[in-house]
Amino acid sequence: MDTNTVNYQKERASYYKVLVGLLLLTAVTFIQPHMFMTESTFVAQMLIAVVKAYLIVMYYMHLKGEKLITAMVWFSLSLVLVFFIIVIGIDVSNFQFGAESHITTAAEHSVGAAHATPAAH
Amino acid sequence: MSHEYVPEIATDREGNEHEVQGWQDDLYAGKLGFWLFMLTEVMMFGAMFLALAYYNTLHPQDFLDASASLNRLLGGTNTVILLVSALTMGLGLLKMRAGDVKGAKLMIWATIILATAFLIIKGFEWTAEYNHGIFLLHDKLLPESDLAFGQKLFFGLYFSMTGLHGVHIIIGIGLMLWLLKRINAGQVSTKHHILHWNIALYWDIVHLIWVFVFPYYYMIGAGGATGGH
Repeated sequence: MDTNTVNYQKERASYYKVLVGLLLLTAVTFIQPHMFMTESTFVAQMLIAVVKAYLIVMYYMHLKGEKLITAMVWFSLSLVLVFFIIVIGIDVSNFQFGAESHITTAAEHSVGAAHATPAAH
Repeated sequence: MSHEYVPEIATDREGNEHEVQGWQDDLYAGKLGFWLFMLTEVMMFGAMFLALAYYNTLHPQDFLDASASLNRLLGGTNTVILLVSALTMGLGLLKMRAGDVKGAKLMIWATIILATAFLIIKGFEWTAEYNHGIFLLHDKLLPESDLAFGQKLFFGLYFSMTGLHGVHIIIGIGLMLWLLKRINAGQVSTKHHILHWNIALYWDIVHLIWVFVFPYYYMIGAGGATGGH
C-alpha cells in the first residue's frame, strides 16, 4: 500500500479542510436568520449555499484545473440562469392573469373567477 | 464471464484489417461523459427550482410560513450526514487511487451506512408531517382544505423535490453496492477506477443538490421577524 506519497497526504488534508469549511458554513446557515442579514434571509442563505457548492465542485469533484469541463459547467449554469431571468425576472414581474390563474389562487376560487369574468363582459 | 478486452477489427476497401483504438481506460473521456450526465441533472433540478422560485414570487408570505413549520433539527442533521458521507466517499476514492483497496471498501460501506441513516431520518420526518395532515393528496393538501394556497404549493414542491432527491440517494446506495461487487471481482482496481471515480462524482452531485434544497425549504422561514412563527 502506497499511501505515503505527497499527493495522498496533500489530497487527504485538502478533503478534511473542505469538510471543516462546509461544517462551519452549515453552522452559519443556522445562526444567520438570528444574527445578520435578518431582513434578507433568502439572499443570505443562497449566498452561503453558493459558497458551499463552490467548495464541493472545486475540491470534492476535482473541477479545479479542468478547463473543458469547467467551460461546460458554466455554459449549463448560464442556460439555467437565462431561464430564471426570463421566467422570474420578466414573466412573473409582468404577470397579467392573477384574477383567473390557478397559480395565484386555489382552483375552486379560480373557477369562480373564470365564471365571473365572462359575466362581466 | 470474461471481461477481457477483445480488439475490434475494421476492414478498409482494399480488404486490409485495422485494429480499432479501444478507449476503455480513457479516464478523461469517462469523466467528461459523466459530467455531461450531471449537467442534465442540474437542468432537471434547475427546472424544479425554477417552479419553486416562480411560486415563491407569487406567494412570498405563505412560503415563509410553510418553511417555518418544517423540522430544522432533522433537516440539519441530514445535512451534516450528507456532508460527512461526501467526505467518506471522497476518501474512499483517494484510498483506491493510492492502492489501499481494503480502506476504499471500508469507506464505501461507511457512505452506504450514512446514506441509509439519511433515508431513515427523512422517513421519520415525512411520517411526522403525514401525522400532521401534511402529505401529497392527503388532508391539508387537498383542494378543499383551508390551508393557504401558497403553502399547498410549497409543500407539494417540498415532497416532490425531497422525494426525487431521496430516489437519487436510493440509486446511489445501489450504485455503491454494485461498485463493491465490481471491486471484489477485481474489475475495479487501483489502475482501473473510472467507475469508482464516477460514482463518487454522482454522490457529490446528490450532496450538491441538497446544499440548495435544505436552505430553500428549511431555512428561508427560520427568522422570527420574517418567518411568520
